[in-house]
Amino acid sequence: MKCSKAHKLISPYSYGELSEKEWKAVENHLNVCHGCRTEFEEMRGLSYLLVNTEKFKAPYGFHTRVMANISSGKARVGAKIPVIAGLAEGFAIIAVIVLGIFSGTQLTKGFMPDRTREVTASLSLDVFDSAPSDSLGGAYLAMTEVRDEK
Amino acid sequence: MEKSEELAVINRFKNGDESVFETVIFTHQDRIYNLCRYMLGNAHDAEDAAQDTFIKAYQNLKNFRPDSSLYTWLYRIAVNTCIDYKRKPFWESLFKRSSEGEALVLDPPSDEPSPERLYESKQTGAALQAALNRLSPKLRAVIVLKEIEGLSYEEIAAALDISIGTVKSRISRAREELKRFMKKFMEQK
Repeated sequence: MKCSKAHKLISPYSYGELSEKEWKAVENHLNVCHGCRTEFEEMRGLSYLLVNTEKFKAPYGFHTRVMANISSGKARVGAKIPVIAGLAEGFAIIAVIVLGIFSGTQLTKGFMPDRTREVTASLSLDVFDSAPSDSLGGAYLAMTEVRDEK
Repeated sequence: MEKSEELAVINRFKNGDESVFETVIFTHQDRIYNLCRYMLGNAHDAEDAAQDTFIKAYQNLKNFRPDSSLYTWLYRIAVNTCIDYKRKPFWESLFKRSSEGEALVLDPPSDEPSPERLYESKQTGAALQAALNRLSPKLRAVIVLKEIEGLSYEEIAAALDISIGTVKSRISRAREELKRFMKKFMEQK
């Protein structure tokens, strides 16, 4: 048997699906061909992995959630939003954002300069009184002024 | 569930007793969830897809023809649902958890596996899922149904509505590709 033919039969061979004659032919080939033998071993290893891989159980409360979805009529069947509905949703979101920015600008347009002046004034250092002359700060300022004049 | 039991449940459902659908879910939820888990690669999408499978089944059970098995019919719905999930627009996946977030664990062959062995099996399980994810949905479906779910060629053919010859050739291709991906992974280790 040629390697190309053996290669095709390795998968059914590993599943035990060959006729006795074919099975024997592959068996004989695998005994003498190192390359095909390696390939068969790899295939067998893969099957082992797949068969022994973890079997997942449905999460706790799964059936309750399904029944709740059915009875509430909120069947998410075809949960995919249709393209038009998806686009409409996207446009609606963008429209709300643009409208928000526009109305915000319009609403604050009139009183913004006055308000700005007010805020600036509130931050001015002029609101602080100079230190009284009999206070520790006042004495310190008087001393530094004298020193600066010198 | 025996075939006769299955038919009785379906008949009760068709006659208006929709509460029996809970029995259908109970009986098949683990295998459907497991299929979705391997088809989609993460728990979150798997639960969504499995739920959608049962909801679709509920909506269409009245049209179910008893000449086929209920579980192959459910498998068909599940596979199609999973394929549709894979076609989801990209922005929907932005709000989902990453499929690489969870690693799969292989059943440890011994009773008390060492931490090293457990770590290794976790790594191999993750590699296997990554390799499965790289297969096309059609190839993934046949290999999961055959190797992980243990269905026969006939059952897979009925579930996917394809010929046995197609099942066999897809399985062969899927195994070849999986083997190549796994080999790459082992070499990188």
